[in-house]
Amino acid sequence: MSRLSEGTLQRAIVFLAALGIGVAAHIAIADANSGSPVCLGGGSGCETVARSSWSHLAGVNIAVFGVIGYALLLATAFFADDLARFAGFVLALGGFGYSVFLTYVELFKIEAACEWCLASAVLMTILFALCAARLIVFAGAPEASPERA
Amino acid sequence: MNGGDRRSRLLRLAAGAAFLALAAVLVLIVITAAGSGDGGDTNIEDKAAVARLLDGIPQRQMTLGDPKAPVELIEFGDLQCPVCATYSEEVLPEVMETRVRKGKVKIDFRNLTIIGPESVAAGAAALAAGTQGRGWSFVDLFYRNQGDENSGYADDDAFLKAIAKAAGVRNLAKWNAERAEMTTKVEETSQEAANLGFDGTPSFAIKGPQTGGIKLLGFPESAGDLEAAIEEAH
Repeated sequence: MSRLSEGTLQRAIVFLAALGIGVAAHIAIADANSGSPVCLGGGSGCETVARSSWSHLAGVNIAVFGVIGYALLLATAFFADDLARFAGFVLALGGFGYSVFLTYVELFKIEAACEWCLASAVLMTILFALCAARLIVFAGAPEASPERA
Repeated sequence: MNGGDRRSRLLRLAAGAAFLALAAVLVLIVITAAGSGDGGDTNIEDKAAVARLLDGIPQRQMTLGDPKAPVELIEFGDLQCPVCATYSEEVLPEVMETRVRKGKVKIDFRNLTIIGPESVAAGAAALAAGTQGRGWSFVDLFYRNQGDENSGYADDDAFLKAIAKAAGVRNLAKWNAERAEMTTKVEETSQEAANLGFDGTPSFAIKGPQTGGIKLLGFPESAGDLEAAIEEAH
């Protein structure tokens, strides 16, 4: 059975983090234009969530923090050492935990579902699984030359 | 340190971080669930959202928008009415952005109290906030923090004061003193709505250059319906 290489994990992380940047940037740009992302499936869930007080933290749209988080995650995938593996894990863990909390808020407090936010939560969940797998399997491995992801 | 030791240390650190993250998320959820309940309490939600929605739009008495706007949309609402709350959150914001903010229409909120006596006290509190230019902030925040109908929250002094404070009413003593005087006005607009034939909330009417007086809209189901009525009234 062929074993999953760290390079494959890194490429998957780069791909998903880039997708995450796109999703979070879309929400942040819609907010900056005094609007809200349009739910592709119809309905007003995205607008309801975007207009709720939960959409901002200290006056900043939380999607902006999402863009930063995904960008940092993407950066960790370009290095193949323990620092990058651990930093990626911690970032993805924080993003995953916050996504779980926000999904709870969305469904049970705001009582609306925004598919863009849910898409981001799914991406962050997969990224957390990949980063955790990367750390568990490759932690302590000799430092490899930087991967082209 | 060899690779095995480093690996072992990293995995222990990761396990600790995962445990802390799990605990943090659980604590956040428990605090959030216990913090505000289902509305009708003094922990006022959506202050930032309402402030953003109304930011930069003039408020005078219970009128939102440019006082010189050629068209006046009149909303008859009951602050305890859940349909009004949904309408306020899902339909009116679009009209505010596309028409009110651009000075094409102003919206006048008038009380039509149909749910119970508590609605009169709530409506009077909104009118008192209106004298300080915070009427719409009060109404929108009230809607977003509604409790169960006639459950005792809507005329609760602490709740109304919390809404007024969150709405930005500066002189709370003046607001408190004026509330009682506003009851008559609430009853007057309720009677006005009844005279127009309205018996449900929210109900809308419109006045503009093309309407030839007041035109009854009833319950326009979407922002598009309202926008069309506003265009026709111009």
